[in-house]
Formats: sequence, C-alpha cells, structure tokens
Amino acid sequence: MTVNSTAIASLTAIVLVAVISAVIGSIGHRTRLTSDFLVASRSVPSRLNAGAISGEYLSAASFLGIAGLILVDGADALWYPVGYCAGYLALLLFVAAPLRRSGAYTVPDFADARLASPGLRKVCTAFVLIIGWLYLLPQLQGAGLTVSIVTGLPQWIGSAAAGAIVLATVALGGMRSVTFVQAFQYWLKLTAVAIPVVIGLVLLLGSGHGFDRDEPPAFRDQTSVAVKTPVVLQARLAVDVVARGTVDGAPVDGPMRWVAGSEHTVSPGTDLQFRTGDPVPTTKGAPADDESWLRPLSGSEPHQLLATYSLIIATFLGTMGLPHVLGRFYTNSDGRAARRSAVVVLAMLGGFYVLVTLMGVLSRFYTPQLLVSGNDAAVLLLPTALLGGGVAGAVLGGIVAAGAWAAFLSTSSGLLVSLASVVVTDMMPGRARGRSLTGFPLATILAGVPPVAVALAPTGLNFAEAVALVFAVAASTFCPLLVLGIWWRGLTAPGAVAGVLAGGVVSALAVVVSLVLPGGESGWAVLLYRPAIISVPLAFLVMVLVSVATRASRPPDAGQLLLRLHAPERLGLSRDRLDDRV
Amino acid sequence: MSSVDQRPTGTIYEQVQATPEFRAFRGRLRRFVFPMTVVFLVWYLAYVALASYAPGFMAIRVAGNINVGLLIGLGQFVSTFVITQLYVRFAEREIDPAATHLRGLVEEGNR
Repeated sequence: MTVNSTAIASLTAIVLVAVISAVIGSIGHRTRLTSDFLVASRSVPSRLNAGAISGEYLSAASFLGIAGLILVDGADALWYPVGYCAGYLALLLFVAAPLRRSGAYTVPDFADARLASPGLRKVCTAFVLIIGWLYLLPQLQGAGLTVSIVTGLPQWIGSAAAGAIVLATVALGGMRSVTFVQAFQYWLKLTAVAIPVVIGLVLLLGSGHGFDRDEPPAFRDQTSVAVKTPVVLQARLAVDVVARGTVDGAPVDGPMRWVAGSEHTVSPGTDLQFRTGDPVPTTKGAPADDESWLRPLSGSEPHQLLATYSLIIATFLGTMGLPHVLGRFYTNSDGRAARRSAVVVLAMLGGFYVLVTLMGVLSRFYTPQLLVSGNDAAVLLLPTALLGGGVAGAVLGGIVAAGAWAAFLSTSSGLLVSLASVVVTDMMPGRARGRSLTGFPLATILAGVPPVAVALAPTGLNFAEAVALVFAVAASTFCPLLVLGIWWRGLTAPGAVAGVLAGGVVSALAVVVSLVLPGGESGWAVLLYRPAIISVPLAFLVMVLVSVATRASRPPDAGQLLLRLHAPERLGLSRDRLDDRV
Repeated sequence: MSSVDQRPTGTIYEQVQATPEFRAFRGRLRRFVFPMTVVFLVWYLAYVALASYAPGFMAIRVAGNINVGLLIGLGQFVSTFVITQLYVRFAEREIDPAATHLRGLVEEGNR
C-alpha cells in the first residue's frame, strides 16, 4: 500500500513533466530555416536564456550523483560541484564572447571558420559525437534508475522509455521549443531539491544530531542491502551481519561478525542484513567516521591530491568543450548578452549545487545504508526516509522524481540537438539538409539511437563520476582548440588536428581502460581514472609544437580573424555563418 | 565551404589593427583576463594544498559541525561568482567604450 502510493505519485509526476514539456515544446514549434531550428533564431532574452543554460547544464548526473558522492566522500566531493561551476567561469573568460562573434555554432563550424581545413572539421565532428554519446549514457541510466526506484521495474525499461521520449521531442521540436522547456525545467529541479532540503534540515536540527562524532553513521532501521556491483567494505567498528551470497570469495548463508577494522569483498548478487543502530560499514577508501568525513582529503584512498588536481583540471577546462553548452551560448543576441547571462547562470548553478550538497549531508543521516552500495539513489530515497511511506512521503517523493526526470530530459534533449545539428551539417549529403529540414529528424535518430542502446546495460560508476570522465575528454580536445584558436594567431590546421587527436585518444583510452579494468592502487591507476592532468597539457603541447613546425600553413588572414573575434559586434566585423549558408 | 573568400578583406581592418588604440584595447583585455585566471587558479589549488599539508588548520571548528575546510570549500562557489561579476563589470566599463571608439575609426575609414 505505502509503496504503491509513492510509486503512483512519482509516476504521475514523471508523466506530468513529460507532458508539460511536450506542450510547451509544441507551442514553440514554428520553424523553417536552419538557423531557427538550431539556435532559436538567437532572439532569446538573456534572463530566460540563463534559465535555459542552467536547466540544460544541470543533468541527471548532477541531480542524482553529487548527493551520493557527498554522502560517501564528504568534503572532498565538493570538488565536483565547484568544478562544474568554475568551468563556466573559464568558458566566460576565454571563450564565450569571441566564440559568439565567430558566428559559428558548433565546434566543427568554429574550426572551419578559423582554419578552413576539412580534415580538422572531420576530427572535431567525431569528437563531438564521442563526447555527446559518453555524456548521454549516465543521463539515460539516471532516468532508468529513477523509474526503477519508484516503480520497481527493471532499470533498462526506464532508460529505453526515456530515450524514446527524448528522441521524439527533439526530432519534432528543434531548439526554440527546447529553450522554454529548459527554463521551466531549471525551476522545477531547483524546487525539487529545495523542498526536501528545507524539510530535512528542520527535522535534522530538531533531532540534535551532529556530524562531529568520531563514529560511523548508524542504521536507522533493520536494513537489507542488495549488492549489485563488486565492492570492498571496511568495518570501522564491529558489526553483525546476516549475509546471503558471496563474501570474501566464499559462499555464505547466515550470520557473520565483521570485527573492527576488517575489510570484506562482497560479490554482486549478495544480500546483506544489518540491525537497527549498528555502525554502517563504508566502501574502502572513503572516510569511515563522521568527523573525518567533514575534513578534506581524510580518506585512505592513495594519491588523493593527484586525483583532486586532475579532477579540477578536467571540470574547469572541460565545460567549454561540451557540445550542448557551446550551442546554448549562441542563443545570446551578442557577446555582451553572453557575458550577462553567464553571471546569472553561475548564481543559478551555485544555488542548485549548494542544495544538492545539503541533500548528500541529509542522506548520511537518513539513508546511511547507501554507503554500502549504490549511492546514486540518495536523492530519490531521501523523501520516504524523511517523512515515511505515507501521503506526505509519497508527495515529496513525487516532487523529487519529477525533478530527476526533468534533469534527465533537459540535458539529454540539449545534447541531442547539438549532436543532430552536427550530423546534419557534417555527415549528411547536401540535398538532405536543404531549406525544408527533412534531414533534422533523421539526424536526431542517427545521433540518438547508439547511446540509448548502450545505456540499457548498467555500469557500476556513480553518475557524477561518469560525467567527470567525459569532462576529461572534452578538456583534452576542444579546450586547447578553442583557447589557442581564439588567442593565438600561430595555430595551424595540422597542429590543431595533432593536438585534438593526441589529447582525445589518450584521455578516451584512459577512460575506457579504467572502466574495464578494476582500479589498482598505484599512481598509474589514478591517472587512468583521472587522466586530465596528463592529457590536457599534452594536447596543448602537441598543438603548439606541431603548429610551430608547420608555420608555413598558417592561414594568411589569421590576424584579421582574431580581430573579428575580439572586437565587439558593433564594429560590424562579424558575419553570421548561417547567413552564408541559407 | 568556401569561407576564405567570405572573410572581410578591406584594408581598413588591417589599418585598425595597426592603430595604437587597438593595441591598447587588446592589451587591456589580456592584462585583465590572464592575471584573473592566475588568481583564481591559485585560490582553488591553494585549497587542495591546504587540505593536504595543513589538515589541522582545515579541521579547526568554527561553529558546531562547520570547520574551516568546509567554509573555504563552500567559499569556492562564492568566489567563482564574485570573479565572474568582476569580469562582466570590467568588460562593460573598459572594453565596450574602447570598442565603440574603434568602431568610429572603422566607419571614418569606410567613408
């Protein structure tokens, strides 16, 4: 009964979000020219646009993943939200206004305008697709997890449904509609975290609980945990557990005692039962007690400093390389509006991330069983943990599920628009992309089906961590291209190709290897998992060196182009590349 | 994609580029953007360094559950926002007027 009311409320909320989005989207659906379709005619007011940028940026990974990381890692996990915010600052300082003036609206377009090289254009197109697909995966899986938690259906059904909805919306609506939808979805997401945080803080302060104790959190009820991915647990204090499955490589079915300070490898498919009030074991390497959870770099994971620096570089420089973020900046009317909306965006992002961080703090008290495995669900389980399974809990659960669904919808549709526009302009024959734009729906399908297919198989990675890996690839490819392309007239096409390939291949390989192989403890394993600290400088270095070596092929009009990029549009130097094309 | 011949080629642009006003304009922009980048990078990296080498300092209790490390960590959001506002104010006060002046030069030249 209680489960049902929560499930019904949540499903209703999810369906409402999808329907409202579709309605707002279809109202804005009056599009003819390429420029209308792809960048909403560039007539979006800067406040509305800031809402849309924030709505698009705050993904399911941010909505679900960050609270889970805060729950486990405490102060250290602050680097994820801070990095996601600071990336906007780097984008604003180095790229936003000049790129807006370039008149290009995708990275391949920018590369073409700056260096006029078909080869470079192809390489950029490939990496836009790779980055976009990798980024879509955790979004689709987040949608699947949301559906699976509120209804009990298998996760892949939710992922498949989410994929189908987004494909249909984008193929039919284009970006004009998406702009309004996303501004709406930002406020929905903010509300969906604000309400549980306020309720949770009131309850927490009323309970007099603090996090300054030298103890691990305790189970609030008798709790059963199903382990789905391999995990090593550390018991700070002795705990009695009833296990059914495989622990430490041997089959078990019955009570075990984990002594203080012991470590246990738990295989997938194992059920663990804990008693009320017992100390919660944590995953190996995470801070084991509340007091050290509050202090930065206090876990026992090796090479934390290196990992943190690498994460900062990836998030800081990666934002400017994300296809949907760049595309969204073109909807500002000029460079000045782009700057203004960036300030509003940062305030909006900061507010949201602080609330999500507080969600993580609350979940350490209210849903500590997530420390054992699967911390992505923290945000979704908090409502019932706060208010119980009655009507109040069901309503709150519905609000949060709607927020998670909005987070998924907004980022995925933005990404898909960017990917489809790249497919239309760069991979389809000229006839298919004429004025009528029959090609766009087809391009959407082509761009969207592969990630949906891959997302049906689950991965064990926290969503926010998975997204951070994509940031590393973006930071190693498009960041050097954009920064050097905008600020250094010595860049050549061969240099750009070599740099993008070097950074992209190294970072993408590292990401794949670290996903396939279980993490070791050496510095090398950390670098595979957080490659940015190596791959970003490498990409810059290769780009500069090869450019210097191929000085002769420097475009003769590079100086003029840079002038055009840095002089405000009222100089009349900018030309809209879309005008050239239509 | 024949973008080369679509680029502005008039000599007036080269002339503007050579003027001291334009150089001063570009210099001003660079003198703001690059030092600002250094400042906030140092601020972020210093936090990590403090956490690693001065954990005692970061663990000092300020009030209840809140320690110095958490305050500085959350302060990163604030500082990011402040730097952004500084930049936008700088751009509107310093860059836009200079650009308007340059525009005058271009229009005179085209006449």
